[in-house]
Amino acid sequence: MTARQIMTADEVRRALVRISHEIVEKHGGTAGLALVGIQRRGVPLARRIAAAIDEHEGVRPPVGALDITFYRDDLSLVAVQPVVKGTDLPFDLNDLTVVIVDDVLYTGRTVRAAMDALMDFGRPVAIRLAVLVDRGHRELPIRADHVGKNVPTSREETIKVHVAETDGGEDGVDIDRLEREGAGA
Amino acid sequence: MPRRSAVGGLDDPRAGERCQRLELERAWLVDPWTGREGVGSLLVEDGRIADLRWAGGRVAPGTRPELLVLPGLTDLHAHFREPGDEDAETIATGLAAAAHGGFTRVCLMPNTTPPVDGPGVLRQVLAAAAASGSPVRVDVYGTTSAGRGGLGLSAMGELADAGAAGFSDDGSPVADAALFRNALAYAGALDRVVVEHAQDPLLTAGAEMHEGLVATILGLRGWPRAGEEAAVARALAILDEVCRAAPTGARPRLHLTHLSTAGSLDLIRRAKSTGLPVTCDVTPHHLALHDGWVAGDRRWAWDAAAAPWAGSAVEAAPYDTATRVNPPLRTPADAAALAAGLRDGTVDAIATDHAPHTAVAKAVEYGEAANGISGIETGLGLLLAAVDAGVLDLPTATRALTVGPERVLGSAPGAGGPAGFEIGAPADVVLVDRSEGWMVSAEGLLSKGKNSPLLGRELGGRVLLTVAGGRFAYLDPGLDAG
Amino acid sequence: MIAEPAVTTPTPPAWRHRHLLDVADLGLDELETVMRTTDAMATVLARPIPKVPTLRGVSVTSIFYEASTRTRVSFEVAAKNLSADIVNIAASSSSVAKGESLVDTVRTIEALGADVLVIRHARSGAPYLAASIFGGHVVNAGDGWHAHPTQALLDLYTLRERLPGADLHGRKIVILGDILHSRVARSNLWTLTATGADLWLCGPATLLRGFEALARALPGDRRLTVTTDLRAALRDADAVMTLRLQQERMAAGLLPSLREYAARYQLTAERLRAARPEALVLHPGPMNEGVEIAPDVATSGRSVITEQVANGVAVRMALLYLLAGGRPAESADAPA
Repeated sequence: MTARQIMTADEVRRALVRISHEIVEKHGGTAGLALVGIQRRGVPLARRIAAAIDEHEGVRPPVGALDITFYRDDLSLVAVQPVVKGTDLPFDLNDLTVVIVDDVLYTGRTVRAAMDALMDFGRPVAIRLAVLVDRGHRELPIRADHVGKNVPTSREETIKVHVAETDGGEDGVDIDRLEREGAGA
Repeated sequence: MPRRSAVGGLDDPRAGERCQRLELERAWLVDPWTGREGVGSLLVEDGRIADLRWAGGRVAPGTRPELLVLPGLTDLHAHFREPGDEDAETIATGLAAAAHGGFTRVCLMPNTTPPVDGPGVLRQVLAAAAASGSPVRVDVYGTTSAGRGGLGLSAMGELADAGAAGFSDDGSPVADAALFRNALAYAGALDRVVVEHAQDPLLTAGAEMHEGLVATILGLRGWPRAGEEAAVARALAILDEVCRAAPTGARPRLHLTHLSTAGSLDLIRRAKSTGLPVTCDVTPHHLALHDGWVAGDRRWAWDAAAAPWAGSAVEAAPYDTATRVNPPLRTPADAAALAAGLRDGTVDAIATDHAPHTAVAKAVEYGEAANGISGIETGLGLLLAAVDAGVLDLPTATRALTVGPERVLGSAPGAGGPAGFEIGAPADVVLVDRSEGWMVSAEGLLSKGKNSPLLGRELGGRVLLTVAGGRFAYLDPGLDAG
Repeated sequence: MIAEPAVTTPTPPAWRHRHLLDVADLGLDELETVMRTTDAMATVLARPIPKVPTLRGVSVTSIFYEASTRTRVSFEVAAKNLSADIVNIAASSSSVAKGESLVDTVRTIEALGADVLVIRHARSGAPYLAASIFGGHVVNAGDGWHAHPTQALLDLYTLRERLPGADLHGRKIVILGDILHSRVARSNLWTLTATGADLWLCGPATLLRGFEALARALPGDRRLTVTTDLRAALRDADAVMTLRLQQERMAAGLLPSLREYAARYQLTAERLRAARPEALVLHPGPMNEGVEIAPDVATSGRSVITEQVANGVAVRMALLYLLAGGRPAESADAPA
């Protein structure tokens, strides 16, 4: 194994707290603000950001979960059809600024799908994007508003985010090198 | 004596030419006339059996010679489609296929277009056979009813004079019982056998496969056993009636072809015990295959007998139209009853019911597909599989393809047929290489009809050489320019 | 407020088929995948605009050799909800009527770029012939007497949705009527016995032909009873599915008359009293009210017939998604 840790549990926590401050600062408060996590790891991350906002602002913005399975443009590249993990938006999108939260920003296709999905449920005032890790290699003109850590990577590398709620154990982010096919063990 | 089988003496053999010399050393010989099988050597010179020597002593298990030598086989039931459907088969391609299957004599069914219901078409078929250059002997049945229409008798007397081997409306039964009675009586006076396809048309209307568990699962219209057995019982009752009334020298003879159920054989067994002049045949596919094949099961009938449930053994796609045949493939239990009938003598012969079809006639929905299996080249291989499984012994199987058919045909012209391995007789010999299997393939079949459910299947022996009437009828490519 | 329930599967979704030709070869895990995916599709259907872009660019062609407005439209709506393109061919108005073979028709449809072929045919097994030559995915929309997979799956979905605990294990379910000629009965037989239901087939003896032998041949863990006794069949039943009785059965001499059939086998409110009080009534449609089912039963509170129609769209969306939504991993379908 060539995996190596690039964020510890503490670093993840600090990054999320910083993002929570940035979100409130950029939005100018918490009124009309909602967080929407992309299934699966975006959802607990959104909840933690909301909790952090609660801690320093005394207001907890509403949190939703968004499943983007039906909106992906890469279904035909996926070997096994993904499980539909459910969408839960316990608020009316129409007058809100929605911050989409996800663990890793890579090609931008997931975020594109998330925006399409959100549009099917209403017309937010604005959509912003917060991610724990931005690893580059965008294929679409998409940029995150709030980034926990910028990690330059090559396409042969993978980023693995561990979130206690979905993966068990400690939080953390690892970087790993893909074994190239035919390149030997 | 050499330890291994050997083929020798061949000097630039060519199909159609006389077999000047053929030496078969230490082969496994089967003589169905005497019932003897064992190691021996056979010599053919100038197209005739010149010498036959049985080796003495016992054969140790596992040391059986790899070369099998049988007398030339007779197929009582084949469709060569000429005239009328030459895209499916011609007499020339059918004869090539027959020789490849080990047959030196074939009896052709008259359900061509037009049918063989008068001497004109009969002579046309015989002329085509002669023109083919094949040394395989051809006999032709005339139809029982005029135009196979089931309404009046065919030109039976003229057909007999022109050399018809017997009469049959095969493909369909003679539905009119009164006409069938008349046909038996009239043909009896001509000393010709009536070959009947036993099927109750109303019980089997629209039928697609054997009525049973597999048909229920696949949702295909059933062909019940009773559809055959009712027709067999009726035919036997009428035969009995005709026998009682027959004048001296006009005794009728009835042959029921491609019987497929245990119940049919019980009826035959009882009729034979009362002395009725009835004979019957079964096909290799009804002996070795079963209705599970329609669902994609590919076990032999004897392997499926213990557990016929279709779901467990499916390895091919269901609804393969190559498995559609009339009468339909029955259950493994029926197949076992057919083998038992062969062993106890109830069944007189094995006939292939070779029914070639074009790809177009089979590349359709199952219920729209033509009935029939192209089987004249795979029949012997299926029987060898049955022999290897211990279902049949080699002399019994061989008898049903030689002595049996000759008896069925009775004193039709030239009957008596090949004289086995009698010294001085014209050679009718089949050589089978048992050292390796034969993979059935569309390209490997000489018949135009590639409609075989056995494509891609390995059978237990490969025909190397067929000599008919002293001439080469089939030569394995490996023996060319020997 | 949007709340589409999370669809949780402990293991990755199981789906091993390139085509949907039969339900007999679907494993329990695959049935579960279809049910879970149908749940997700039901959430899409519950939206104000029930449309997602999932199958954008996927081309679906449906060809119906037998008329069936209900099933054809259901597939059409399902495909459109997933943003697939769908072309419907009515076999009676195409070159098929001029004698073109199924093989040629399927080759033509493939050459025109179809990814999914939905086929309805009067001959059992016809979809297998189509699958043997079609490069994409074939969906059997009903073949002869053999199978009607999407109907059986929507029936299963409806029963699970409406029976307490969403569990069919031990539930007594009756299929009533013309079993012999019914692809709906055959397909339901496999799915319902697989999920543990206590299945009863009931009808006149001539229309049950072959099924007693099938019941005896089934493995011991599948429960199937075949009877001509309607009263015994209905006693304490949890659900009753009546089948359409076709006029041709009289002509074939299988039944004396429609009147006699109705007198002996029509599902009436009176007869339904023998079943459990909350017993469900299903019908695959189209109904002959007054023949196999009394009008008041068809429209009673126990009838889930309109739910069957609605669930049909969700199930067909799920199947189009499972078949065409991803690259086939390893196909369990028999080779062509």
